[in-house]
Amino acid sequence: MNKDAQMRAAINQKLIETGERERLKELLRAKLIECGWKDQLKAHCKEVIKEKGLEHVTVDDLVAEITPKGRETGFTMLPRLVLNSWGQAVLLPQSSRLLRL
Amino acid sequence: MKMEEMSLSGLDNSKLEAIAQEIYADLVEDSCLGFCFEVHRAVKCGYFFLDDTDPDSMKDFEIVDQPGLDIFGQVFNQWKSKECVCPNCSRSIAASRFAPHLEKCLGMGRNSSRIANRRIANSNNMNKSESDQEDNDDINDNDWSYGSEKKAKKRKSDKNPNSPRRSKSLKHKNGELSNSDPFKYNNSTGISYETLGPEELRSLLTTQCGVISEHTKKMCTRSLRCPQHTDEQRRTVRIYFLGPSAVLPEVESSLDNDSFDMTDSQALISRLQWDGSSDLSPSDSGSSKTSENQGWGLGTNSSESRKTKKKKSHLSLVGTASSLGSNKKKKPKPPAPPTPSIYDDIN
Repeated sequence: MNKDAQMRAAINQKLIETGERERLKELLRAKLIECGWKDQLKAHCKEVIKEKGLEHVTVDDLVAEITPKGRETGFTMLPRLVLNSWGQAVLLPQSSRLLRL
Repeated sequence: MKMEEMSLSGLDNSKLEAIAQEIYADLVEDSCLGFCFEVHRAVKCGYFFLDDTDPDSMKDFEIVDQPGLDIFGQVFNQWKSKECVCPNCSRSIAASRFAPHLEKCLGMGRNSSRIANRRIANSNNMNKSESDQEDNDDINDNDWSYGSEKKAKKRKSDKNPNSPRRSKSLKHKNGELSNSDPFKYNNSTGISYETLGPEELRSLLTTQCGVISEHTKKMCTRSLRCPQHTDEQRRTVRIYFLGPSAVLPEVESSLDNDSFDMTDSQALISRLQWDGSSDLSPSDSGSSKTSENQGWGLGTNSSESRKTKKKKSHLSLVGTASSLGSNKKKKPKPPAPPTPSIYDDIN
């Protein structure tokens, strides 16, 4: 378990260092917009805001409401696409290269 | 390195998949968070709901799906029957013709300036030609000389031959203009026949309509098939100038189609005997002309009524008529070939 955690941390670190994480983040954002994930979330947001009232919305509220839904739909909407492109094309060779420092 | 050992040993696909999944989840969460921040800022700055429209205006701009209307609810042919009142001449004009009418009415379009320039040029020509005949003072006194006034009247009645739609007849006229003496043209639509000699008359009559307009006493310069004058009129004019034996250049073909009975042949022969006194000059009194016209009128009416498209076999008289007539006027084709060809067709 420790090893896994360590490995994960190491990978993460390497990703950040090389800037790969940023690139992946941008890629993910573009894909999510394309598939309409963002619009869905926005509609959900509107409902939440209308419930709460426009004036009293806080970041925490929004985050608490939206993040879980976002995560779910993100996984359902883009299950394989990104993973594969990362899992094989990106992570494997990169990580091995990274880790072979 | 320790890490290396660690990673190499742990490098199997499932583990990597798991790691990838986790990384992906982290990224999604990051995106969500970023999105929340955007929304929160939009709410607080007040532009979050800007792209929504209120239900009232939604109803106003709803897509219309009724028959006869387009999706905006407009009727298709609405402007076809509408009439506008011209502010210049206060006439009511159809909407689709309004723009060209306004162009002419105000005198500001491309074509109107062209017409105006041509009018000026023509009136200049006319003034030059008239200066020999009249005193210069007389011309200078009047803003409009009499001829150009008549010109204007005639042009209006003539359906504006200078408009671009008349390109066909216009081309024909331009060709004619280059051939004939320009001084005899004070208007592109008419010729004054008094100044033309017999040869010129004949050549004109073989190529142009030649019917004399009552307004201006000028001959029509349009084609032989000009729609404003009938063949009857053209024949009248030709007989008036060239004698009773004269026939229209195209009459050869029309005569082919005619069927002449024996009763008509006598009338024809009596007409042919006028040969000797042909070439009536315009100075002859109108009475002889009218009586002759009446005689012709009867004959030609009956002959035209029998005109058919099929060829008939009574062409012997036609052959004599055309051969006799050929002495007196120039034909576009030489006289010999047509007559044998007629006979060939029969035999």
